[in-house]
Amino acid sequence: MAKKIMVVDDDKEITSYLTQLFKDNGYETVEANDGSEAHDIVAKEKPDLITLDLEMPNEWGPRFYRKLTQNPELKKIPIIVISGLPSNQYAIQKAVASLTKPFDRDELMKIVKQTIG
Amino acid sequence: MKKKILLATTGSPASFGAARVAFEMAKRYDAELLLFHVAGVPKKGFSYQEVNDVRSQETVQVDDDYMAWVEEELKNTYAKQLEECKNARIILATGLPHREILRAARDEDVDMIIMGAHSGDSSDIYSKGYPGSTLQRVAKAAKCPVMTVHRESASYMGGFSHIVFATDFSKQSESAFKYALSMAKEFDCEMTLFHALDITSKVLAQSDIEDKLITLRKRLRDVYGPKMGDFKNFEVDVWEGNPYVEIVKIARERMADLIVLAHNTRELDPEQARMGSTLEQVLLRANCPVVSVNRPDKV
Repeated sequence: MAKKIMVVDDDKEITSYLTQLFKDNGYETVEANDGSEAHDIVAKEKPDLITLDLEMPNEWGPRFYRKLTQNPELKKIPIIVISGLPSNQYAIQKAVASLTKPFDRDELMKIVKQTIG
Repeated sequence: MKKKILLATTGSPASFGAARVAFEMAKRYDAELLLFHVAGVPKKGFSYQEVNDVRSQETVQVDDDYMAWVEEELKNTYAKQLEECKNARIILATGLPHREILRAARDEDVDMIIMGAHSGDSSDIYSKGYPGSTLQRVAKAAKCPVMTVHRESASYMGGFSHIVFATDFSKQSESAFKYALSMAKEFDCEMTLFHALDITSKVLAQSDIEDKLITLRKRLRDVYGPKMGDFKNFEVDVWEGNPYVEIVKIARERMADLIVLAHNTRELDPEQARMGSTLEQVLLRANCPVVSVNRPDKV
């Protein structure tokens, strides 16, 4: 069964780009446009990996991650931070990787494959 | 209640982290933001209107043109944030930075001062170990809480959700506690009441350390538990080690957005109190904003 990746980003172009990239590489995808929307979707969809933007309109990435880690069923889902903010590697230190926009798709796919196969 | 925040900025990259937090707080919590900048220190006994420009360090004649240019520079530096933050005012002054910051905070009756740990000069030295003299003096004398954001560390992202209150059970910590609790209630945060057992200069048996940890956890519960009122979203913890390291570590572990502590621990008289070494190190190393509170005013 294909692994499922959840893309959390308020930028529609980034979500559609990432979704297409993951689909082309054989993954299932789900999308959320900000952290608060992502809470409901993550509980329902139980993705194998999440790519997470930091700065979003309602609920920011780190706050979403904090709530995620409070749920024992969800707290081990690996996170890849994809953000344009400076020093984004410090925001979610337990993330498997932090990429700065614009990111390298090959690097991202390499990290995804290493993480969930 | 309408809040008023004073962002003391040099306009240099050293204060970008503080600016990001200040603008975000103002926007999210509907506060008024005063963007405060001291254009330079007047020369020759303050009688000449001539200052050392903050950025170029050149001597400049202060006139309306110069001040308009400085204001324009600030507007350009923070163009994006100012566009999104409608309730912001730029205030310029000349003089000794700490004195002017305190004066403006008093005149405007602000609820919080936000600033970087240093101006960005000689950053190699300052970024490693020491906060700047302006912060030292402001933190010592300010009647309102002073928030320091030293590193642009992507912390405080989108609001407060976890506050670490670090205490050494001193008198000053009482004001810091009141402030931490009121913030936690107002923003519906989790709160960790934390004490670091200093074992750096002693050799202790492990069972002694663990006995002390148990005693201190009980003390935390006994001292602060009855003051929590109907606020239940808190935990207490005590870690052993070097206090500033442990405070930074627990904040990282709990993904705290804010650390609150008193700025001095031994000196009872706030006029005499210097910033403690623990606070100095915490605010330079923390991955989130740090608020120092010493006085009961504005808490």
